[in-house]
Amino acid sequence: MSVLTETLRERRVRPVSLWVDRHLRWLLVSPAVLIIVLLTIFPLVFSLWVVFVQFDFSVSNEHPWVGLDNFRTVWEDPVWVHSLWVTGVIATIAVLVELGLGFALALAMLRPFRGRRVLMVLFVIPLFISPVIVGGFFDLFLRRPFGPANWLLGGLLGHPVSIDFTIDGLWPWASLVLADAWQWTPFMFVILLAGLSAIPDELYEATEIDGARPRQSFFFVTLPLLTPIVLVAVTFRFIDATKLFDIIYSLTRGGPGTSTYTSSYYLYQQGFQFFHLGQGTAGAWMFTIILTFVSFWLVRRMLRPVEG
Amino acid sequence: MRGLRGSRAAGTTRVVRGSRFRPGALVRALLVLLYLGFLLLPLYWVAVTSIKPQEDLLADPPVWWPREPTGLHYSTALNAFRGWTGLENSLLIASATTVLAVVIGTAAAYSMARYGTGGKHLAFWFLSQRIMPPIAIIIPVFLLYARYTNEWIGVSLVDTHLGLILLYTVFAMPFTVWMMFTYFRQMPVELEEAALVDGCTRVQALRKVAWPLAAPGIVSAAAFAFILSWTEFIFALVLTRTQAVTLPVVLSGIITNFQGNQYGEASALTMVSLIPALAIGILIQRHLVRGLTLGAVRG
Repeated sequence: MSVLTETLRERRVRPVSLWVDRHLRWLLVSPAVLIIVLLTIFPLVFSLWVVFVQFDFSVSNEHPWVGLDNFRTVWEDPVWVHSLWVTGVIATIAVLVELGLGFALALAMLRPFRGRRVLMVLFVIPLFISPVIVGGFFDLFLRRPFGPANWLLGGLLGHPVSIDFTIDGLWPWASLVLADAWQWTPFMFVILLAGLSAIPDELYEATEIDGARPRQSFFFVTLPLLTPIVLVAVTFRFIDATKLFDIIYSLTRGGPGTSTYTSSYYLYQQGFQFFHLGQGTAGAWMFTIILTFVSFWLVRRMLRPVEG
Repeated sequence: MRGLRGSRAAGTTRVVRGSRFRPGALVRALLVLLYLGFLLLPLYWVAVTSIKPQEDLLADPPVWWPREPTGLHYSTALNAFRGWTGLENSLLIASATTVLAVVIGTAAAYSMARYGTGGKHLAFWFLSQRIMPPIAIIIPVFLLYARYTNEWIGVSLVDTHLGLILLYTVFAMPFTVWMMFTYFRQMPVELEEAALVDGCTRVQALRKVAWPLAAPGIVSAAAFAFILSWTEFIFALVLTRTQAVTLPVVLSGIITNFQGNQYGEASALTMVSLIPALAIGILIQRHLVRGLTLGAVRG
């Protein structure tokens, strides 16, 4: 890179382009920095004011200072605390399901066979569909009585069933995890498949010569070599899974009652259904801080082996 | 998985006796088929619902193939349910976002990769944008768009294409910057150096050498930016009313209003929305892994 710096000396160029050339590195990077500062950093700073005043469209246009009241109101709302648990639990279960399924699938798809290319194209389709539409898919599929889910389940079990998948018992949770897994298992699958294919064949040959059983070579070659990539995939996926909103919006709508409110869904309701913008912002700050801590913990803990 | 595949795998040999068929292969085939079923069933159901006549929609037992398929839902969804508006807006917003995010992001990535601008900190600052939950940004952005941009610059950005394009560009930025950053770092620097020695300015070296060489990376970064804004929902839900509604917003309006029994229309519009995303998705299949992990894992 230092080679680039001194080459322009003693060349006659117009002053403007000379100036452009000298400051090129900053000119190139500034639009990106500027737009992020304008649309995320500035709004965040602005929202630091919003959390300390009364900002409620339904009340008035005055914004009296209320100190920490917004935080207190949100924190004392049992639905909010519950939503934090819901977010954590659904994200964890979904990521584990996707990891297991994606890993099994990657193992199954590793060796070439006829039709593999077509399957590869089919398998990644869900990644390109809007999550709110995926929620809609499952709503259509699971909805009682005319969605085929009850009918298929009845056929499998041999007696008619009538489950409301968005209301009964633990079914809403299962439906959400199912829809999320439908969409994001391919994410785990393609990343793990890339990781598996990158393990050189020679390693397996060597362990075979050393007399290792297949199971041994799986535990002592495949898993250790794959771990860093599994951690990258899990980190990215978990961070995204905690933002779950779209599928909730189109599948359970937070129901029954408020039992499947995720944090994002709760904050949306506070902010844009009730227009409690001060409280919504206070909650958003809590959520962001929690998420930042979890993310940094995950990134530091999980990405360390990758760098090492 | 050489290890998992052999018929020598202990305890599984008894499944198929005396044939050349491998039990491991059977388990794998079964897994793949089951997953394929799980994948295709909801997709098929939407596809078939979109061509069912009204009386088949609520039938019990469910109708797996309508006796008289109809295209009626497609025209209703597009014309009467603002499908065209959503489609046009989505295409416009996603295209503009793609161009902006790719140009701005590639420029920043080039500067970081070639001149080391901002060091590691700047690169990770871009990456950290990826952690930010949209819900934390959307409330203050909504307030700014609804109230203050009007006072300050005389335009309200709520329900405008520009408002969404700007926001989507920001959220596509970690992807385009990091994909291009890792791409430029793998690209040999010698060609650009040669161009400089031959009397090119830095701008020319960028425009005539680096940019064309990076074309494959740019294409996949562009595809990611497009898909990101094509599928985005929560920003569009909050920031649009009638003028700038995108396809997911139009669709969610129909979906959450199922009491009106518009399953056919919702399914038809879903099918329409899948087409561009799938086409692009299939095109960039080879770059998928790089994009999903922001360049951390090579596909």
